[in-house]
Amino acid sequence: MRRSIFAVLHTLSIVAISFSLLSGLRIASLDKSYLLSITTLLPEGQVHSLHLISGISLLVLSCYYGYFKLSHRTVTTQTRYHKLVTWFGYVIILTSLLSGVLLRLDWLPQPLLPLHYFSALALLLYLLLHSWVYALQLGRNAFKKILFIPLKRFPLRLTGVLILCICVLYYYVQSSTHTLSVSAISADVLMEIDGYDDEPQWQDATLFFVDTNHGANFVDGYAQVAIKALSNGQETFFLFRWADPTQSLNHLPLVKTESGWKVQENGFYHFDEQSYYEDKFAVMLSNSCSFGADGTSYLGKQPFNSSPANWHSKGYHASLDGKIRDLWHWKAVRTNDMVLADDNFIGPLVKPLNAERRYKAGYQTDGKESGSYVMNWQWYSKNQITPKRLPNQNIDISHPVLPWFGSHPYQKAHDTYPIGTQLSSVLYRSNRFEGDRADVRAKGRWHDGYWTLELVRKNKTDSAHDIALSNHTCMWVSAFDRSQIAHTRHQRAIKLRYAL
Amino acid sequence: MIKRLLISLLVATVLYGIVHFYPAPSMQPTPHARYTKIAANGVPLTPWQGPWACVLDRKLNVLWEVKTDNESIHDGYWTYSWFLHEKGQENFGDCYFESQRCDTQDLIERTNIQTLCGQNNWRLPTEQELASLIQSPSRPGRAHIADDYFSYINQGDYWTSQSDSRLSRQFKHLKLGAKAINFHSGTVNALPYRNAAFVILVSSLTKTHPLSQFSSRDNSIKQK
Repeated sequence: MRRSIFAVLHTLSIVAISFSLLSGLRIASLDKSYLLSITTLLPEGQVHSLHLISGISLLVLSCYYGYFKLSHRTVTTQTRYHKLVTWFGYVIILTSLLSGVLLRLDWLPQPLLPLHYFSALALLLYLLLHSWVYALQLGRNAFKKILFIPLKRFPLRLTGVLILCICVLYYYVQSSTHTLSVSAISADVLMEIDGYDDEPQWQDATLFFVDTNHGANFVDGYAQVAIKALSNGQETFFLFRWADPTQSLNHLPLVKTESGWKVQENGFYHFDEQSYYEDKFAVMLSNSCSFGADGTSYLGKQPFNSSPANWHSKGYHASLDGKIRDLWHWKAVRTNDMVLADDNFIGPLVKPLNAERRYKAGYQTDGKESGSYVMNWQWYSKNQITPKRLPNQNIDISHPVLPWFGSHPYQKAHDTYPIGTQLSSVLYRSNRFEGDRADVRAKGRWHDGYWTLELVRKNKTDSAHDIALSNHTCMWVSAFDRSQIAHTRHQRAIKLRYAL
Repeated sequence: MIKRLLISLLVATVLYGIVHFYPAPSMQPTPHARYTKIAANGVPLTPWQGPWACVLDRKLNVLWEVKTDNESIHDGYWTYSWFLHEKGQENFGDCYFESQRCDTQDLIERTNIQTLCGQNNWRLPTEQELASLIQSPSRPGRAHIADDYFSYINQGDYWTSQSDSRLSRQFKHLKLGAKAINFHSGTVNALPYRNAAFVILVSSLTKTHPLSQFSSRDNSIKQK
């Protein structure tokens, strides 16, 4: 029986480690682009759930194995080499499990963050030293030894109990959340959305911190976000503050070259710009609080068979359970002067359009009646563009937004700017959006290496694409440092708790 | 042992093959069954190419004017009162390109002088022609039209050539007007000639025109 239990534990561990490694490497490919070279070996789709359930399985199996090992000291006989390798495996699996659990709870200290990834790489080495060497030494017999279990001796009850433990733990872990207290304020209090936290109510609000990681350009990919929230019963105000040593307002600037105007970029053609982009901040809201951004992250080049592949191989956001997730997207250049965050949502997959090069799956903007920012090129091309407008002679062209009334329509004859001139690519065609897309007022200010973003929205809007703000609404936040899609992220949702 | 090493080598080779030679998903556009982009000089483009000034409509064998946001005569923000052949209301719309205000005849004349997409027979579309463009919005809040081909279409009324339509309700006292398609609701309405509405012009192709024989799957055009 001892032998059968060992074989079951070993087989289940092989399955759990394989799924865990493959799904983990896919998740890591979001910020380690060199892993995309093995993209065909990695799973696509909702890999966060796969990673969590395989990780929990390994945790449960390891715990039981610890008990089993203590109860039955010797199960197999090993050579000195394999004993050493096995101990190496124990250390690696333990490190991987511990760092994984702490990571899932957002408790892993920032300096230890790479531990999870490097333990995964060490696990690959362990598999080579352990499994491959056994396969070389024993050949077919190695597989017989670990996989063959006589049916009469199969530990059915134990396997059932282990699976039950995995399910219970998965249910508990995938729905565990942080809590953000929303302090009550009077409806008479005037809160000015100006990016300053100088109202006394902000000083009294509960301060909550969440560590976000894996963002491009941040120091070690890390940004700790400080959050405060207030509500007057009709609206909820949020204050977000995060460190960003560089204020990035250079949004895809145009530069005049000998051959004409060109967009300065480093990845924009593939919709993954990471150098010439504005800073941004995103808030996602949902009525449920599950793992993997509430099940809206689908990773890989083509995670939906019936929909187009993406250009950056990283994946899509979509909501396939029939529920909408609200997404507020504050942009330091394109929406900040409008005192707005772009009100977006994550919904079901949209139908691809023949003439649309960038398919966005379920990530869409709310509808608007009018108003917009526009890009200052008539048609985007990687090699050369023609601006829509040029600034008037006496206008300061260093401003991140080119003023409509300080510019004139492009005419080649009037294009006397010297080679090397840099020009903003963002134009406001009106001073703000109107309609559903303008539900979220927001203003950010950068000072001394920190962004402070003040943001407000009505608790209930009439939009079918908005989530009502109430007790138990869950929230996720992400910061972007001059990057288009490579944002920071955290694991546990933040559940809002309104003061009575 | 040598056999096992060879099997290991085989497994490694298969993995290498999968990583390097497994075909990546296609990143090529799919042609539209009805529409093709046409550049200002009349040259057909693939779905992801641009800029384009007209849309070839193979169903109706016509070219449609494409609106812009470049403040040219084709800018989608300009509005026009309905005026054709001395009928209707002159100069009640808003644009920047006329010294006075704008009407439908101004846009038609200017576009024909420009020979947009090589054509000089631009005109207002009939009700049937324009209504045939109505389709469900592709995304929330967008117009009832294929807006990946017909850019800068507003959520408002677009004139057709159908005049002498009886007006109803609040416009009843003005008696007659012209038909317009509303791409916000996807409906047809009769509006007073003096109303400022938007315009998409259309140009019929002769049967011998090279674009009349053009197929969207013509592989002589290449995606750059």
